[in-house]
Amino acid sequence: MKYLALIISLMGVPLSGWSQNCNAFLYAKDTLQYEACLIAEERNGHYQYSREYQEALDKAIEKCPYFSYAYLHKSVAYLKSGDFITWKTLIDKAVELNTKENLGYRGWCRYQFFRDYRGAIGDIERLDSLITYDIGHSAGGEYHLQVARALCYKALGNPQKSIEIIETQLSTPDYSIGIFDHLHLGVLYLEAEQHQRAIECFQRQSAYNELAENQYYLGLTYQALADKTRHRECMQRAKTLYLAGKIMRDSYTELMDKIYLADIEAAMESPYFHSDN
Amino acid sequence: MALALLLLALSCTRTLLPGDSKYLRMVGDIAFDPKEDDPDFELCNEAKAKQYHNFNQGFQYQGEKQALKKVFAEAYRSKKMPGETGLIRIRFLVNCQGKTGRFRMMGMNENYEPKTFHTSISKQLLQITRNLSGWKLLPNEQSPEDYYQYLIFKLKDGQLIEIMP
Repeated sequence: MKYLALIISLMGVPLSGWSQNCNAFLYAKDTLQYEACLIAEERNGHYQYSREYQEALDKAIEKCPYFSYAYLHKSVAYLKSGDFITWKTLIDKAVELNTKENLGYRGWCRYQFFRDYRGAIGDIERLDSLITYDIGHSAGGEYHLQVARALCYKALGNPQKSIEIIETQLSTPDYSIGIFDHLHLGVLYLEAEQHQRAIECFQRQSAYNELAENQYYLGLTYQALADKTRHRECMQRAKTLYLAGKIMRDSYTELMDKIYLADIEAAMESPYFHSDN
Repeated sequence: MALALLLLALSCTRTLLPGDSKYLRMVGDIAFDPKEDDPDFELCNEAKAKQYHNFNQGFQYQGEKQALKKVFAEAYRSKKMPGETGLIRIRFLVNCQGKTGRFRMMGMNENYEPKTFHTSISKQLLQITRNLSGWKLLPNEQSPEDYYQYLIFKLKDGQLIEIMP
């Protein structure tokens, strides 16, 4: 159940294998987009970076210049290859043609791939102002866009606003918790020196989706509280989890609050870790 | 207008292509340029070069991304340069022996518009990137493969503030 939101959100994002339901255009009596959609299916079986994939979508655009789906999917390979200029031109066209559908995705990508925090906040907040339903999740489904917005505010030096946004999101009825939500909120509390709240968050994260990062930050919290025994236990657990591959991981980019084995080892080699008192 | 410029830019890639296509084999492919590239840099199978994310394991560098960040933190030197703000991407190939080559650079300002950064910044980042030696091999059941990797540097007034991906 806890990954239901993830699975649902994955159905609506521009990953390589996802296909548009062309009949939806027919149902809406938009035959031009229906025909373009059928042409776009020629890309099926081709890698999203490939010439054949791009050419099929070009043909679809030629058939229907307002077929936003083609611009969106053409943009993905440029995004992943780091070509920010071509990506932005294509995704802007997709947003122009279908704003409500594509604005959240653009906002997420600005954050995830280019650390464009202000741009991401702008897109997500604009989307929120345009619709009355839920603004949705990140492309991979791991983050609700409100949580992504919160992390952007943190990166811009406004952690209090970040805390408020995540707290609000977590208290939203029927919200399915994201796989890193409690961890991020815990780190925010830790950095704000609200240690008991941080511990509560890390414990919730442990119960939901245990990670080396979670134990590492919990260990830092205990260090701040001068609880050396628990600090050591957490760092040892963090290392075990890390070596077992239970870490924050993303195929494309580095996630916020991710730590590395060297961070854990540095903590375990520190004078504090080894001191008697 | 922007779209027209994009299509123009894509059309400039025709030289390597079979037939009439305006695209390379894959988006982001880098063809050998004798004026820029080391002729001794060899690929195992260029036609099958993969992408960095085909690992599905995140950043693949010896010592993890932290080690790479440390290299730049120690080697990159810049004074405050107002206006030198935006992103620089350096894309390159890692061959089946873990060696790198065919480096290409692209810059943008904060509005995603093309930008050429001061050479004291761009040359430095390129040189440090060229000297990186910790890229891991792309695992393959038969033999290691070549793959495309990129680094994006986020700059604020000439200061390096983040490295992606």
